[in-house]
Amino acid sequence: MQIEKIKLCCAKCGFTVEEYNASELAEVPRKTKRYKYLLQKSSICPACLASGRLKENRVTEEADTTPTQTADTKFSTTAPVAHEKHPDSPTPMIDAISQGVWPSHAAELKKTRYPVQMYEQALQKRTTQWGYGGYVSLPGVASGVLVRASARPDITKGSNFVRIMDPCGNFFKADSMRKICDISDKYAYGLLHLLSTGGDLEMLGIPTENLKAAVDEITKIGFDVGSTGDDYRTSEECIGPAKCDLALYDTLGFREAWYKRFLDDVQYPRFPHKVKCKFAGCPNDCVRGQQKSDFVVIGVFRDLPIIDQKKVKKWVKDGGDMTTACTRCPGGCLSWDKKNGLNIDGDSCLRCMYCINKISGVRPGGDRGVAILVGGKMRGKYGPMLAKVVVPFMKAEPPDYKEVFDLIEKLTEVYDANARKKERVGDFMLRVGMSEFFRLAGVEPSAHLFNQPRTNLYYHWEPEEVRPQNGAGKENNCTTTKL
Amino acid sequence: MPGIGIPSLADNLPPLLKRNYGKWISHEHPRPGVIKHDSETGEVCFTVRAGMPPNARVSTQTLRKICDVADEYSEGFFRVTQRNSLEFVGVPERKIEGLIARLALMGFPVGGTNRSLHNTVCCTGYMHCHLAATDPAAIMKAVSEMLLKEFENDYLPAKLKISGSGCLNNCGEGSTADIGIVGVHRDLPPIHVGKLKGCELPLVISVCPVGAIKPKGPGMVEIDGKRCIHCPACSVACAAMAPIGSADGDGVAIVVGGKAGNTGDGPAIAKVAVPYLPNNPPYWSEVTGAIRKIVYAWHANARKDERVGEWINRIGWAKFYERTGLPVSTKVIDEFDSRAIEYAKSNVRFKW
Repeated sequence: MQIEKIKLCCAKCGFTVEEYNASELAEVPRKTKRYKYLLQKSSICPACLASGRLKENRVTEEADTTPTQTADTKFSTTAPVAHEKHPDSPTPMIDAISQGVWPSHAAELKKTRYPVQMYEQALQKRTTQWGYGGYVSLPGVASGVLVRASARPDITKGSNFVRIMDPCGNFFKADSMRKICDISDKYAYGLLHLLSTGGDLEMLGIPTENLKAAVDEITKIGFDVGSTGDDYRTSEECIGPAKCDLALYDTLGFREAWYKRFLDDVQYPRFPHKVKCKFAGCPNDCVRGQQKSDFVVIGVFRDLPIIDQKKVKKWVKDGGDMTTACTRCPGGCLSWDKKNGLNIDGDSCLRCMYCINKISGVRPGGDRGVAILVGGKMRGKYGPMLAKVVVPFMKAEPPDYKEVFDLIEKLTEVYDANARKKERVGDFMLRVGMSEFFRLAGVEPSAHLFNQPRTNLYYHWEPEEVRPQNGAGKENNCTTTKL
Repeated sequence: MPGIGIPSLADNLPPLLKRNYGKWISHEHPRPGVIKHDSETGEVCFTVRAGMPPNARVSTQTLRKICDVADEYSEGFFRVTQRNSLEFVGVPERKIEGLIARLALMGFPVGGTNRSLHNTVCCTGYMHCHLAATDPAAIMKAVSEMLLKEFENDYLPAKLKISGSGCLNNCGEGSTADIGIVGVHRDLPPIHVGKLKGCELPLVISVCPVGAIKPKGPGMVEIDGKRCIHCPACSVACAAMAPIGSADGDGVAIVVGGKAGNTGDGPAIAKVAVPYLPNNPPYWSEVTGAIRKIVYAWHANARKDERVGEWINRIGWAKFYERTGLPVSTKVIDEFDSRAIEYAKSNVRFKW
């Protein structure tokens, strides 16, 4: 049987970056989106490292033929070579960093096939020795691979790595990690970045011609690659109910359900820019989601913290510092006397977890759910920004967390449809304005959405808000509300 | 082929945690580096936490040793935390001493819990990045070495987190930590005319936060040097405008007061305390000196449970510079966007 295939190739060397069956391209909307995204985007070719637009090739192939590897070895990076030992040390800087009591990354580099002169020269010259690089696609591997050229071809030609998505809770099984070590020894430098700040395991130094084989071996032992480019990046979660007494919802189960539902969007980039999602079990936010992630789901409770007076009294008797606890409570709502025990003033309690963290015998209150905050980022266009509350409270119902996931999917669609290219969610919110973003996303007005109301009166009314017809534009104004 | 998803939760949890999933009722810190969790089933879980090489870079040789330790002490599982510390979960109480001794032999110090310096986080820097203005991994190694006592004991006012990023992209999360270092460039990005063909010029122009890049005839751009804020946005988008930076131009900014949790004054992004310090490998003495000044001043003056940012919020920035002895610069007043005017002072409530 003949099948028409659409191949997206590098304009310079003809390397196939992505391929589709013509029929499925027409039928599956996600693939269509991804195809359009790739055509618009300037991509880096994994084979020749040239960046530019991709070229479309339509070919008709026999249905059962396997896609052929067309990587041109002439352009690919060379296999790493072992570092040669020299009598008078060629690496004085690295030797200096290797000393001391704290474990040293430089000492680890020396145990691998990493070209240590790249690091040594960078330290000596006080500038990095690496060249341009970026995320690339291979046939079947749309994300998870990064290539990096070298500015010092005399030392090494370049270096690529793959990103492996870590298991829930960042628990690593010794047996599977040994297999990862084997793959790294076979294909790469034998150097691992155990946990990147994005929550992935990175395997450094795979020659270009081996990338596909390495990815295949990684998936064979039960790990998957992904999380590069403009997709949902690897979601991080706190350890949750597995080992924490404070978790307000099942973060680990939530993340597992997330990957069941959104695996396509994690592995096939198609958004305007990267989207990071993090799941924190309680307001302590151990995953730093409010600072870093575009969408953060934080466990919250609405009832007052539950006090076990007997335990609290025992804690004070055993030397617990109640004076500090009462003065440092952010809401100033704790009061303590020996007779009546600990009391919490309900009106000023912020549900911030301070007393729960510090005082033994105070536990999170009931009526638990999640809050959703949007738009945190570390850089973006306008610098670091904290995430903003969009939904102060909603229920998270296992096993499929449908309401929460539907909402995040909707918010992503709003972002995808309206944002400019390479604009993070936070930058998009800043550009269109918070009230416009809330209108686009259909957010319910709530007094929990802001710290304080504005001081200026320069705001905009849409005509349909001024003269509502058929109930349209009702949500954001109070002209129709009876006071 | 990709498409299989993450490893299943059921296979990747230690049996002790699987038995007590969601049943934990309290935790305590019996000694620095060890956390004890109590379950309602009566079982207890001891966790031993150790420092890691900066950037969590390990060779397969070291990782195999870690796997062996995990097999011997914690049912074949280990964990890497959000702050890149190494955790052995579910260690039997009688084996804790042995595990700490074993880790010491391997060169991994145990600590980083409760009121101590937590393990440092940083990006890859000079090791594998073309944007790095500094090498945070080497700085973090020097900082960890300097504050080893603070890591292994818990006598600080509150927890202390130190992170480092090599450039303004902030992959190393410098701006999230109590004390962060962020690599800064001070040069204009280059324009390699030959490579401009491969770039998407409208994108390069639009990613610039200050509109410093303008079209100059067909297929060519120019940079307004007065406007440039030396962020590497254009160097990320276009190979012709990379690499940015030079040995004398690049350096380190120090930011303080970042925090994630909602306790105290709530989550905050760190603020710039020192806008520039030079790169001075291998030990970065200026940077480590400034960090030492901040840590010592905070330790001496902060109240209990006060993180660095909350201490500064209480005493004010004038007192912060007085206590730490760091140099003041007008560069720390924000001039980037329309909120700029709010960063300058508009009252006379001075703390002399």
